[in-house]
Amino acid sequence: MMECMTLLGFGACAPDSEFRASLPFPAGDIDRGVMPAALRRRASQAMLMAFSAADVACKRAGRPPSGLPSVFASVAGEIQVTDRLCIELAKPDGVVSPTAFHNSVHNTTAGYWGIAHHCTRPSTALAAGHDTFAMALLEAWCQLACHGGELLLVCYDERWPAYLAPPMGAPAFASAMVLGAGSVAGGLASIGRPQPGLSARLPDNLAALAAHQPAAAIPLLAQVAAAGKNQEIPVSMAFGGWRVSLISYTFEVTDEEQ
Amino acid sequence: MTGTAIISPVAITAYQCVSAAGDDTEALWRSLNSNQTCLKPLQLFELPFTTVVGEITSPLPDIRPELRAYDCRNAKVALRALNQGGFRTAVEQAMARHGAGRVGLVLGTSTSGIYDSEAAYVHFLQHGQMPGDFNFTRRHTAQATAEFLRLELGLRGPCHAISTACSSSAKALGVGQRLIAADVCDAVLVAGVDTLCRLTLHGFHSLQLVSPEPCRPMDIKRCGINIGEAAALLLLERMAVDNAHHSRLLAVGESSDAHHMSAPHPEGAGAAAAMRRALALAGKEPGQVDYINLHATATPLNDLAEAKAVACVFADTPPCSGVKGLLGHTLGAAGAVGAIVSLLALERGLLPGTCGLDDADPQCACPVLAAPRPGVYPRLIVSNAFGFGGNNASILLGIGEPR
Repeated sequence: MMECMTLLGFGACAPDSEFRASLPFPAGDIDRGVMPAALRRRASQAMLMAFSAADVACKRAGRPPSGLPSVFASVAGEIQVTDRLCIELAKPDGVVSPTAFHNSVHNTTAGYWGIAHHCTRPSTALAAGHDTFAMALLEAWCQLACHGGELLLVCYDERWPAYLAPPMGAPAFASAMVLGAGSVAGGLASIGRPQPGLSARLPDNLAALAAHQPAAAIPLLAQVAAAGKNQEIPVSMAFGGWRVSLISYTFEVTDEEQ
Repeated sequence: MTGTAIISPVAITAYQCVSAAGDDTEALWRSLNSNQTCLKPLQLFELPFTTVVGEITSPLPDIRPELRAYDCRNAKVALRALNQGGFRTAVEQAMARHGAGRVGLVLGTSTSGIYDSEAAYVHFLQHGQMPGDFNFTRRHTAQATAEFLRLELGLRGPCHAISTACSSSAKALGVGQRLIAADVCDAVLVAGVDTLCRLTLHGFHSLQLVSPEPCRPMDIKRCGINIGEAAALLLLERMAVDNAHHSRLLAVGESSDAHHMSAPHPEGAGAAAAMRRALALAGKEPGQVDYINLHATATPLNDLAEAKAVACVFADTPPCSGVKGLLGHTLGAAGAVGAIVSLLALERGLLPGTCGLDDADPQCACPVLAAPRPGVYPRLIVSNAFGFGGNNASILLGIGEPR
């Protein structure tokens, strides 16, 4: 039985500069350069954020994307495209664009990630409301426990149209992690199996930052960046909650990432 | 992919399916035997083009008042399947056996409750706001019907949705197997649920992939898909002495085409990789497979790519067929529907036919059955589901021990 998974590298993308500045770990703006030019023109905010975070995670882990299976997790996926399609469908003379339609599926970002990186490894797209990050970690755990190796986990949500579920759907945020089965040399942290139930209360500033999906990854990344001791970290803010045990090692921010 | 570790099989202790064929697996079984299409003109809403669909036309049950926030067509179709043929009792028994916290739920869906969102958007355009009972995260987003089923049953284990277009519920079966193999759960309810909506009908029409007539999988005159809807539920449980006679989920092989968002790899490379991966994960050889339930959507490109993939993996290709001419393409539910069709074939003895196939495409070089073959008992079945984004999943199912 696998006893832990190892965090080999992570990245984060927060397009809102104020939100980005409030994060207790390095995060970047959208980096359009990480997406092939042919895909960039129609890329959604979700896709750009997920690619930006995943690119940093793979580089920091020193792993080429083409070799990693992937788990893409998001509550609402391509909601900006889907919203525009729903508006068209509600009009008597609305027009549905074929590209918008195939770019509205939940696994759009996962699909383009594979296309952009010529990655033929399995890729999945998952959703679980407030538990989305927790369930993505659990799916990553199960894949690593059953198949070994390493994988890429990306958890993201773009900004939702304001009328859908206020106050949810903001700020837009993506986090990405490269995870390995068991103990792997050179890792940033060791993460235990996600467990149901609440952990100790978070400091107020972190609790406020992590209140909504997709920011549920924030406490875990904050703890990794702080190189803290063995701790129980919440990975879902939902009622009942999910948590992981985390042992973080050293974490150094290099100059180029500042 | 050298030295693939074998994954433990899981028992499939109950299953149930509501589709255009009717309200339970008995109706599906009759339909597989008669091989007469269930595709008809759409009744649910008006369309500005001609096609036929696999529609569930029986009245759907009401969602109980406490769970009204989840009320949508997708949840209602799922509830109908849950209440058929003792399936709910089987889940309750699994909860009693293992504890509610050890029973998980994984839903595969592509459009979730979007049929109901479409009506909400009409209200939005007229009034500038969503209707008062609109609930985005409990009806529209992918996990909505998963949460509904979990609350309806009182399950306490992990719960989420896989949404990878038309491979969604095939991949959900893989998630369920892994949850048991990794000892997170002892049982997992895997649901494939997708319902008809304007988005998919207009969307596939815009891609020029919708057939005006009943579709013709693997036929030389095939010209596109018909869309269907279904709820297909399967209860996976850890293997034990008292469930050894049940059919087994041996593995789900997954791969990515890394080629195009809406067109398959022209040589079917991703589809072939998924089938090979399923066999490797189960420690089986291609020669042991004795029936393939094809994805066979009836678009010119999809069927050709899948036929090439099958010919590439299987030197001596077993009989193949596809059921989308009976039920339509049930999108995110198609993987779970395919699994149930395969379980009926294993347990009751039938190689299904391919409704709509008259004149086999000579370019599709695999032995596709047009008519069903009753009385034939396959022992090991591959069932395919491929989706947008080049997302591929092949399910491998095997018979249980004799009673």
